[in-house]
Amino acid sequence: MSSPLRLNFSKFPEGGLIVVIVVLGILLSIFGGEVQRPKMVMGPDGHLTRAVEKDASGQETPAFVKVNNFFNAETLTQIAKDTSFFAIMAVGVTIVIITAGIDLSVGSVYALAAVGGAMFMNQFGSDGGPGGAVGGVVVTLLVALICGALNGIMIVGFNVHPFIITLGTMAIYRGIAFVLTNGQSIGGFPQEFRDFVRQGVIGDLSLVPLIVMILVCVVGGIFLARMAIGRKVYAIGGNETASRYSGIRVARVKLLAYIISGVTAGVAAVLALGYYGAASSGDGQGYELTVIAGAVVGGASLFGGKGSALGAVLGAIILQMIATGIVIIGIPQSYSQIVTGVVVITAVLLDQFNRWISDRRLLAQTAHIKKEVVQASDTPVSVK
Amino acid sequence: MIKKVTLTVTSLIGLLAATSFAAEKTYVFGVVAKSNNNPVFQAAKTGAEDEAKKLSQEHGANIKIDWRTPNEEDPQKQVQAIEQLVNEGASGIAVSCSDANKLTDAINSAVNKGVPVVCFDSDAPKSKRLADFGTDDIDCGHKVMEQLAKEMGSKGVVAILAGNQNAPNLQKRVQGVKEVAKNYPDIKILDTFYHKETPQDAAAEVETVMQAHPEVTGWAMVGGWPLFTDNALKFAPGSVKVVAVDALPAELGYLRDGHVQVLLAQQVYEWGTTSVDLLYAKAAENKNPPSSFVKADLLPVTKENVDEFAKNWDKWLPKK
Repeated sequence: MSSPLRLNFSKFPEGGLIVVIVVLGILLSIFGGEVQRPKMVMGPDGHLTRAVEKDASGQETPAFVKVNNFFNAETLTQIAKDTSFFAIMAVGVTIVIITAGIDLSVGSVYALAAVGGAMFMNQFGSDGGPGGAVGGVVVTLLVALICGALNGIMIVGFNVHPFIITLGTMAIYRGIAFVLTNGQSIGGFPQEFRDFVRQGVIGDLSLVPLIVMILVCVVGGIFLARMAIGRKVYAIGGNETASRYSGIRVARVKLLAYIISGVTAGVAAVLALGYYGAASSGDGQGYELTVIAGAVVGGASLFGGKGSALGAVLGAIILQMIATGIVIIGIPQSYSQIVTGVVVITAVLLDQFNRWISDRRLLAQTAHIKKEVVQASDTPVSVK
Repeated sequence: MIKKVTLTVTSLIGLLAATSFAAEKTYVFGVVAKSNNNPVFQAAKTGAEDEAKKLSQEHGANIKIDWRTPNEEDPQKQVQAIEQLVNEGASGIAVSCSDANKLTDAINSAVNKGVPVVCFDSDAPKSKRLADFGTDDIDCGHKVMEQLAKEMGSKGVVAILAGNQNAPNLQKRVQGVKEVAKNYPDIKILDTFYHKETPQDAAAEVETVMQAHPEVTGWAMVGGWPLFTDNALKFAPGSVKVVAVDALPAELGYLRDGHVQVLLAQQVYEWGTTSVDLLYAKAAENKNPPSSFVKADLLPVTKENVDEFAKNWDKWLPKK
């Protein structure tokens, strides 16, 4: 008999990830300690200025405020912002992984799309106005869409493993970005665009990347869980041959998955352009590994048929919390890659263990049903 | 008995209060260099840590260095590091910008929140940083050509090795080389040769030029790229004179075997020490430097002083 308080992870597999995030948050709040920050107050001109206080001798000195090193609005917002670029891409890559594919080119698509958008917006300069900004966003997304479509067309058309195709395009897309920019950083975008992405939604907390991440997660979730095409994505990942025989147009669905992966890299590139204000061919180098790691930690199975948009976002949040936690607790930065690698392997092992437990439970239930059937039957049946 | 206990407790409270009033002031300076896998930044780290210890002793303060350099070059991670340092209440930040465009807003945001920022090695000129400590690139080009002319006896054919043709700092160095070359009528500049900034590409470029133009008798290298690999220079030692910028451990062998005559060492250790000095002066004493550009001199390293100079790297690099 199951207790009503018991979490049923088989019905809500992301529950485990949320528990991990909460536990990590509690640990970082406890062990992170307190920090002292300059106290800021709103000045008469509407801008934040340093607060001052009088010391024992009556002299004015800058005032400070003590906050928890982890659990404060600025740090939490920063984690959300830093996660958003990876999490948005992880949603797209998860869809590809569910089809039993892989997209190693996301980091390069991100760079090429950002460079394309940057070159367009740079023509307009900081006085480019909304027209330049909208055009830049469209160009960025279009470049990303084309990159994703090319990946998909080559994978489906040549029937080559996606690892090979996207390994190749990873180099090609970054190479094109390098040729276009000569290795230089391109900045100078319409100010309206920069202000929009960096605007303080609550106080001076920039929440636009977080809001976009949530939107991408919701859209990705609806696509996978509520739309027929999404169910086909799972079906192909579960058994491609069976899907083909059941009438699913496998090639079309796969092509769509790579296009989505490209577009999500484009969305992340738009945010990066607005937030950081420049793009170069070196952008997003090595990000494909973090993105795939986020998807895997979030429960996507590299064998296909398993994964979710929410899981991808939560997986990316866990990786970012660990990266930030390393800094907060004071572990040298050099160890961050080792810790991330250990977390990814641990997540996969836990996932396999979980699957093994589920399989055993299923076997036990099947055996139990068989036994009941045998007992209920009038004629003796041999159970193998 | 009660009196004794009261007296002891009062003395203890008094002692604690006195200790807390006398407690040394703590300053945390974040340092965000370009990458951890470059020895020049390891030297900067050692410099920052040594200076923090020295200033702590001199001023009775507790100065800590918080090293937040990404493992590989990534300006986005540098932005994140600056934002985190501000959130954690750092007293100041020193940064070597991988991409000035991307770091300008983060630097401005830190300064607006009361955290002073200085740049070293690579500047963000449009930002509100307190100061930039680095090489004067035109002057660097002047020095390269002056040293080369001296080694060549003021005559011969010079090739300039210049890395990425779109890097503004390298262009200034090339400009400096050409300006000084005009003072030597018997020196002819063959051309400026650009290449991808990898040791292999740079070494290949030198080899190609030497095969096509055997008349070259001097190389003005405004960066040390080919010298980061072994056996990059195929000509006989001394037959072609070479002066290059930077004096990293891998380059010193070329001085010893006579392939290179002079290396102009950037003040990589001082990137750390001077940055901490500037930050401490601002954070503790609210003092600004006299100018926003603090020039770092170049130290000529030759066969004569190479062994002495090499000892620095033993101190600067972490022990294996």
